[in-house]
Amino acid sequence: MSLVTLDNLSQHFPVGGGLFAKPAILRAVDGVSLTIEEGETLGIVGESGCGKSTLARTLIRLNRPTGGRITFDGQDITTAPEAGLRPLRRRMQMIFQDPLASLDGRMSVRDLVAEPLDLLRIGTPKERTQRVHELLRKVGLSPDHAGRYPHEFSGGQRQRIGIARAIAPGPDLVICDEPISALDVSIQAQVVNMLQDLQDELGLTCLFITHDLSMVRHIADRIGVMYLGKLVELAPAADLYARPLHPYTRKLLSAIPVPDPAARRDEAPATDEIPSPLDLPSGCRFRSRCPLATELCARIEPEMADHGGGHLAACHHARPPEDGDPIPSNPRTKQESEDA
Amino acid sequence: MSVLLEVRGLRTAFHTSRGKAQAVRGVDLTVKPGEILGIVGESGSGKSVTCMSVLRLLKRAGRIEGGEVLFGGRDLLTLSEGQMSDIRGSDIGVIFQDPMSSLNPTLTVGEQVMEVILRHRGGGKAAARARTIELFEMVRIPSAATRIDAYPHEFSGGMRQRAMIAIALACEPKLLIADEPTTALDVTIQKQILSLIKELQGRLGMAVLLITHDLGVIAEAADRVMVMYGGMVMEEGPVARIFAAPRHPYTQGLMASVPDPRTAGEGRLAPIPGSPPDMMQPPAGCPFAPRCPAAMNVCDAEAPQLYAAGAAHRSRCWLMDPDAPQQGGAA
Repeated sequence: MSLVTLDNLSQHFPVGGGLFAKPAILRAVDGVSLTIEEGETLGIVGESGCGKSTLARTLIRLNRPTGGRITFDGQDITTAPEAGLRPLRRRMQMIFQDPLASLDGRMSVRDLVAEPLDLLRIGTPKERTQRVHELLRKVGLSPDHAGRYPHEFSGGQRQRIGIARAIAPGPDLVICDEPISALDVSIQAQVVNMLQDLQDELGLTCLFITHDLSMVRHIADRIGVMYLGKLVELAPAADLYARPLHPYTRKLLSAIPVPDPAARRDEAPATDEIPSPLDLPSGCRFRSRCPLATELCARIEPEMADHGGGHLAACHHARPPEDGDPIPSNPRTKQESEDA
Repeated sequence: MSVLLEVRGLRTAFHTSRGKAQAVRGVDLTVKPGEILGIVGESGSGKSVTCMSVLRLLKRAGRIEGGEVLFGGRDLLTLSEGQMSDIRGSDIGVIFQDPMSSLNPTLTVGEQVMEVILRHRGGGKAAARARTIELFEMVRIPSAATRIDAYPHEFSGGMRQRAMIAIALACEPKLLIADEPTTALDVTIQKQILSLIKELQGRLGMAVLLITHDLGVIAEAADRVMVMYGGMVMEEGPVARIFAAPRHPYTQGLMASVPDPRTAGEGRLAPIPGSPPDMMQPPAGCPFAPRCPAAMNVCDAEAPQLYAAGAAHRSRCWLMDPDAPQQGGAA
C-alpha cells in the first residue's frame, strides 16, 4: 500500500527578475511521479542541484507545489491549507543534515525533543517528560542527558537528538535529508544501524535523500536517481547497481570511489559539466553529457518507461550495461598484496 | 631513494580558552619525489593540522611545539616568514577543500593565477597571461583564452577547483599539498578532479600529499597511505597492502564501517563504538584504546611505538609487540 503518491509533481521557483525583467524559472522539481510504499525506504540520489532536497520539502508541503498532485495516505494534500495539514504534521517528520544548525542551541535536550509534542499538544507535561526519557533511551542516549545543551554533545550524539525529536510524535513517514553526511565515517555506521533498528521497531516509512551512493545501496529498498529536476531512473536497490539502464546512472555509479585499490581504473580526465538549471537543453536534459545522445534526444524528452521488475528509466536508449561499462556486480575479490 | 619532504617528531597544539588542544602529537612522515602520499583520518585526527604545520599556515592559536620539517635540505620551521612565502606557491603548491573561499571574488580567475606567476617568476604581464592560458588548458578548463577573464562566481565548483589547481601548479612545484580537494564536489566532478591530479602528477613528476577522510579517494589515487587518529600516525604502508591486510584495529574498524558500493545491501554495518578522543585531554596511552575491541591493560597505560608489519608497512599497536599474546586473524 502506498503511503505517498506523487503524480507529475513540479516545484518551480522564479529567480531574479525585477521591475522590467521577467524572472527566470528554476525547475527544481519538474514532473516527478513516484510512490513510497508503507514500511519501505526509498532512496533518492543525485548531485547538488538535482532537486532531491526540494522534492522532499515539497512532498511534506514545506513548499506549495506549482504543479501535479501529492497524496498522503489516500488524502490529497497538494493544496491543503496549513491548518488542514496540521493533523498530518505529526505523521511526517524530518531529520536534517546538520544537527548543530537544525537544533536550537539555547534549548535543552529535553525541550528540543519535547517541542514537537508540545506543539502538537500530545500528552500531559508529565507524560511528555516520560516520553522524552523513553525516546532518549531509544536513540542510545541516557535520560541524564535531558538537561544538557546541544553543544555539549559530539556530532553523532547531536544527530541522535535530532532523530529523537523527529520520531517523538510517532510519525509514519520520516524524511532523512543527508542525515549522515556531516558525520565522521566511524560514526555514520552507528547512526545508520540505529535508524534501521528504529525503522523495524516503529514500522517507519523512510525517504532517504543522499549523495552517498555506497550508503544508499546499503539502506534503501528502492532508489530513485534525479538529474536536474527529473527522476531519470527508479529501481529496486540491487537491480539499479546490477543493471543501471540510464546513462546518467551509469556515469554516477562509475564515479563512486571504491575502497579497494585493486579496482582502480585509470582513465583520461573528462571535463563535462552539469548545465545550468536555468538554461536546460531541449529534449532530454542529460543529452549534453550523454555518450548515447542522438537527434531524437534533442527533440523529444523521454518519459519514464517500465523495463520489467519495477525498474523504470527515462531514456530513449535505455539498455543494460555492456562490457567495459562501470561497476562490476560481482563481489569484491580480495587481492593479495604484492609485497606480502 | 631521495626524500623530498621529511617531517620528524612534529607536535602542534592550539591554545584556546578551554585549554590546550594537542592536535598533532609526534608525527613522522616522508614524501618521496613523484609519489602520492595519502593521509586519511576523521575530523580531529590531526591530518589537516599536520599539513598546515608543514606550510606554516596555522591559525593564530596554533603553535608548532616541536619537530622538524625538512624540505629540500632546509628546516622550514627555522625560515623567516618571507623565505617561507617564497616557498609557498613556488616549490610547494596548495589546494584546499572549498575553492570558493580560497579564490578572491573581486579579481578575475586569470588575474589570480598571474599574480602567483609574477610574484614568484617575475617577467612581464603578457608572458604571465600566456602562461595562465597554458595552465588553464593544462587543467582542462574549456575556452581557456576567454575563461581567464571570468570571475570566480561565474565558474562552477569543479571549474573553480581546476582554477585552484592551475594556481597551485603555476610555478611547477615539487610538492602539491591537497587538503580534501574533492570533498565539496559532486561525485562525477570528484572523479574528474582526482584523475586530473593523477595525470598532472605523472606528467610533471611532482609529489602529492593528499589529505582526505574518504578511504575510496585514497584507494583511487594514493601510492602510500598514513592513517591518523588522535594526533598520531596509527598505520602506514603501500595502499595495496593496507587495504588488503590492515594490521591496526582502527584501520580495520574504519574499513568495516564503510559499505562497499559493489556489494552493499545485506547485513548490518559494523560501526566503531564510542567517539573520537577529546584532544584537550588525550588518552595517556593509545588514543584508540577506549574504542578498541582488542584493547589490553597496557594500551591505556602507554602509547605503543610504530612496529614494522612487513615491507614498508608499520602499525602503532601493542598487538604487534613480540611479547603480545598471539592474536588470530589480526589481518
